[in-house]
Amino acid sequence: MINGLYDWIDDRVNISGGGRKMVNKIFPDHWSFMIGEIALYSFVILLATGVFLTLYFVPSSSDAVYTGPYLPLDGVHMSEAFLSTVNLSFSVRCGLLMRQMHHWSANIFVGAIVVHMCRVFFTGGFRRPRELNWIIGMNMLILAIFNGFLGYSLPDDLVSGTGIRISYSILETIPLVGTYLANFLFGGSFPGNSLIPRFYVLHVLILPAIIAGLLGAHLTLLVRQKHTQFKGHGATEHNVIGAPMWPTFIAKTNGFLFLVAAVTAILGALVQINPIWLYGPYRPYVVTYAVQPDWYMGWLDGGLRIMPHWQTVIAGHVIIPNAFWPAIVLPGITFTVLMMWPFIEQRITGDRADHQLLDRPRDRPKRTALGAAVLSFYFTLFGASATDVLANYLHVSLNSVLTSFQILVFAVPIVTYPVALKICRELQATAGGGKTKLHNIVIRSAEGGYSTVPSERRPGDTPPELEPVALDTSVILPALVASPSYEAVDRSGLGARAAADGLEGPEGNGAAAEGNGAEPTRRGVFRIPRNYR
Amino acid sequence: MSASTGDSHGEPTPVTIRLDADQYKVAAANPREIEWTVAATFLLGLAGFAGFGAAYWVNASNAWLGGTLGLGFLGLGVGMVAWGKYLMPRGPFSESRHSMVPSQAEKDRIITDFSSRGKVVVERRVFLTKILGAAGAVFGVVVMFPLIRSLGPLPKGFSVASTWHKDSPLVKIDGTKVHLDDVEYGGMLTVFPEGDAGGALSQTMLVRQLPPKGEVNIVTAPGRETWGPLGYMAFSKVCTHAGCPVGLYQEVTHQMLCPCHQSLFDVGPNKPAIPVFGPAPRPLPQLPLYVDADGYLRAQAPYDQPVGPSFWWRRD
Amino acid sequence: MRLLRRFLLPFAVVVIAAALGTFVLGRVQVAASSTAMQNPGMKLTSATSLTNAGMIAAGRTLFTETCSTCHGGAAQGSVLAPSLLGVGGATVDLWLTAGWMPLRTPETQPEAKPVYLTPAQIDDIVAYVVSLKPGGVPVPTNVSLKNANAAEGFAVFALNCAPCHTITGSGDALASGVSAPSLHLAKSATMVLEAIRTGPQNMPRFGPGDISDQQALDVALYVTKYIKSPRNIGGIGLGGVGPVAEGFVGLFVGVGVCLLAAYWVGDRTARDDEDEHGHSDSGHDVGDDDEGEPAAAGDEAGEAAEEVGGTTDA
Repeated sequence: MINGLYDWIDDRVNISGGGRKMVNKIFPDHWSFMIGEIALYSFVILLATGVFLTLYFVPSSSDAVYTGPYLPLDGVHMSEAFLSTVNLSFSVRCGLLMRQMHHWSANIFVGAIVVHMCRVFFTGGFRRPRELNWIIGMNMLILAIFNGFLGYSLPDDLVSGTGIRISYSILETIPLVGTYLANFLFGGSFPGNSLIPRFYVLHVLILPAIIAGLLGAHLTLLVRQKHTQFKGHGATEHNVIGAPMWPTFIAKTNGFLFLVAAVTAILGALVQINPIWLYGPYRPYVVTYAVQPDWYMGWLDGGLRIMPHWQTVIAGHVIIPNAFWPAIVLPGITFTVLMMWPFIEQRITGDRADHQLLDRPRDRPKRTALGAAVLSFYFTLFGASATDVLANYLHVSLNSVLTSFQILVFAVPIVTYPVALKICRELQATAGGGKTKLHNIVIRSAEGGYSTVPSERRPGDTPPELEPVALDTSVILPALVASPSYEAVDRSGLGARAAADGLEGPEGNGAAAEGNGAEPTRRGVFRIPRNYR
Repeated sequence: MSASTGDSHGEPTPVTIRLDADQYKVAAANPREIEWTVAATFLLGLAGFAGFGAAYWVNASNAWLGGTLGLGFLGLGVGMVAWGKYLMPRGPFSESRHSMVPSQAEKDRIITDFSSRGKVVVERRVFLTKILGAAGAVFGVVVMFPLIRSLGPLPKGFSVASTWHKDSPLVKIDGTKVHLDDVEYGGMLTVFPEGDAGGALSQTMLVRQLPPKGEVNIVTAPGRETWGPLGYMAFSKVCTHAGCPVGLYQEVTHQMLCPCHQSLFDVGPNKPAIPVFGPAPRPLPQLPLYVDADGYLRAQAPYDQPVGPSFWWRRD
Repeated sequence: MRLLRRFLLPFAVVVIAAALGTFVLGRVQVAASSTAMQNPGMKLTSATSLTNAGMIAAGRTLFTETCSTCHGGAAQGSVLAPSLLGVGGATVDLWLTAGWMPLRTPETQPEAKPVYLTPAQIDDIVAYVVSLKPGGVPVPTNVSLKNANAAEGFAVFALNCAPCHTITGSGDALASGVSAPSLHLAKSATMVLEAIRTGPQNMPRFGPGDISDQQALDVALYVTKYIKSPRNIGGIGLGGVGPVAEGFVGLFVGVGVCLLAAYWVGDRTARDDEDEHGHSDSGHDVGDDDEGEPAAAGDEAGEAAEEVGGTTDA
């Protein structure tokens, strides 16, 4: 029946033509290439759980009164948005699970994008011809961060509302257009009534559509240019070594989708996230301590906290308000430099050639050290967003924690760079550093020096790698299916035709000895020209 | 035993392939055991999903719902990955990779096709394209108007309006007026102008300190001798850094702390909410108070400056 | 054995990590709440009258043993500690019940310590100090949360208490070396009322004109019921310190476990064609600095050579 269906579609759309290429497509196997898939599958989970949430969430700032099982909110006036979120958490079956899975998935989504970006950076995967894909990816990172901010602000609770107030103020700090931007985006002065509905449309429709479009472009480019790969296993600039799309890659990637979903579901089951009922509805005159944004905006909050209280005033007018530097200039520089990095590196190294093979991070010590230093800078800023919490847990004065971070934010990257550089150089110098170790025999010379020679392979050792089989120029017949004659499994009849055409190779039916008995097996070795039909 | 990879330079290459090559064998040395294990994990996944259904039916807690769902996904995921890793052809396989750079011939062909037909279109009709371009430019500009301008009102004269006015009575959040006996020495209260309880920009922190020995009012700065009657001081609750409510008051150290980015303001005699620590660049505006005939607190005048964080061209 | 290594081991790691995590975080939560959870609304012993002569006498003895070294034999104060005359019974009761007093060493802010005085002994000391000089805030009596409203309590708590103690009552560090303690240490509704009215140390003092008596009871209900036993229906509460804790969990547990899964699913770095002397096939010497790498030509030569003479065993 499936054959019939396949033929029906195939005869109308012609899948078979390009389909074979897709089926035989090779994916390099390295585990670090799956980090992007973590992000991809988190996006899928976000869409799925998000659809559920849109069925119950009410994106409105209109006043409503809650009556329900959670008593501290019973009879309290709140926005419809907050009320629907409380109902989702307490009164809708699976509602809390979907909320928590959605929020955890968002954290994992941005985290995976950042780790994926680091992987691509440290292995040089952004080099020609993949600069465009890097730029698309960076745009997705920015949109993901922004969409996450919009998403956790939708419930209109005390903590996220404080964050929105801060973003309104930050918008206002932009010279010339700041007050206009703030008034336009928010529909007036803070807080206004357009806030939640506009955030909702952006979060549910506009930004996901753009991200999905960029994602499609990202994957299309990846398919067209083929994935990069590490050296070794016979990999060169002109081939791709790995596992075929069908059946291996599809099985593993689908399995991975379920694994990511499992992690999200278990986190959503066991660890509470964004308990908005404990925070209460947003009131502009109420605030709580120990408030930070979600982690992917933590570096901005840290910057706001440690920025000294400078302000540019000319002739009595404030030209550059204080919050402009850490909240607008810092992310502006960050994302611009990140996005332009392929071209910056091309300038520095003068290397404008195509690269299909990846570097190991240790092979490019300066790039790796620079990336590590920059990462440590942003991680320190993220740490600075929790100055009060740290001061409390370490029983240290708040003032000294803040001053320490003002120093650390420069000291940590300055220390990280040479340390990372040294580690790379040491790893390069170590013979076989990081590789699966082979057994060695240690020999001591008469003068007292030591040397090693590798020992013979032993039975339990990892089996040796085989030569890669080129799928685009070979015929695959499933050899693991034991069959008396291969015609039964050779749907294309290629083997029989090749035999009839006398294309048997010099080895002939050498495999007959491994066949199944008296029947002459047609397993054999054929020499098949590339365009043989 | 061997297979040579295809040459990427266009010649049809004969390929030798052995149909029982080791690359097609499964990766595992013990496929039967793996099969049983994969089956077991799939069953676990099935049990997980069934458990999820049951948990939903009986309205179980979030931990049960998510745990069963997670178990289901975990079982399926581990099983499918194991199937793909251990029960499939071990490979490796390869395909050839061609440079994306087109040949010069290909480039020339498209340029020729494009420009040869294009010449007929555009030649001597340049003025048409110019007018079309101008129309398009005008459209591009005016389409921005509904997209952007309709979003909101213009900022009102660059001042951040708060609704305090002369003789506004101070009220608490529930609307009741604030009497001079309401707040103890060392106490704090969030107040608003009457009629705007809960106002985002008019929110004000009222604190009370013991005046210095021999004095009745607290004078925070020259010119503000009457602003702090009977130990009361009122400051805007909107932080001058990024707008959070400055809700913390430390009554022994006489400081107001903003919880968002820890801007610290000194409050008291000769200290008009001066920022002493943290990123806030300006002191909090002070509301001048007086006590009316009935003993209720009122504002002498509105704030003498816009409240909240700085913005472009703000007159300091 | 190989089956175990390859297969059940990842499974086991996940399960054990989840179990350990739950256990550890659960213990943290348990430890945070007080060990002796009193019936909210009731004081430990009902001290109906603090003018009992027996109590005052017992209190004098206890005071001499416990407090007089710093506060003076007649509670008149000294260079070490302030006078307690007229400070009010509520203050004395609060500080002793919280364990802030007696102080071991002079500190900027006393920390809550285990209380070794029994409730009856605390009452005695309170009675004694109050008898020395009247004044101050009295110990709350007839504390009943029967008519208290949780919603009103939450609203008043959010406006007045959350800015220092956080909305979840987890406490936080303030400026100048001071901190707002965690409200999980609140032992009874009476203690909450005493704190509100007396405003210990840097905490503001909320009189009846600021937070009315009924509102104070509402807040006490909210603190003793919903702060101490929060409705963490979503799972482990992560300490209630805000999204930064969720970020750490999301990054290190969420992305981390997914990375571990990817490490299992995928392949490792090339088990290489590198020859045993450590020269990788990139053709670069060890220790070479790699800026200005030559273009692909060099790589191609190296790779073509290696393709022909593959070094893997057949």
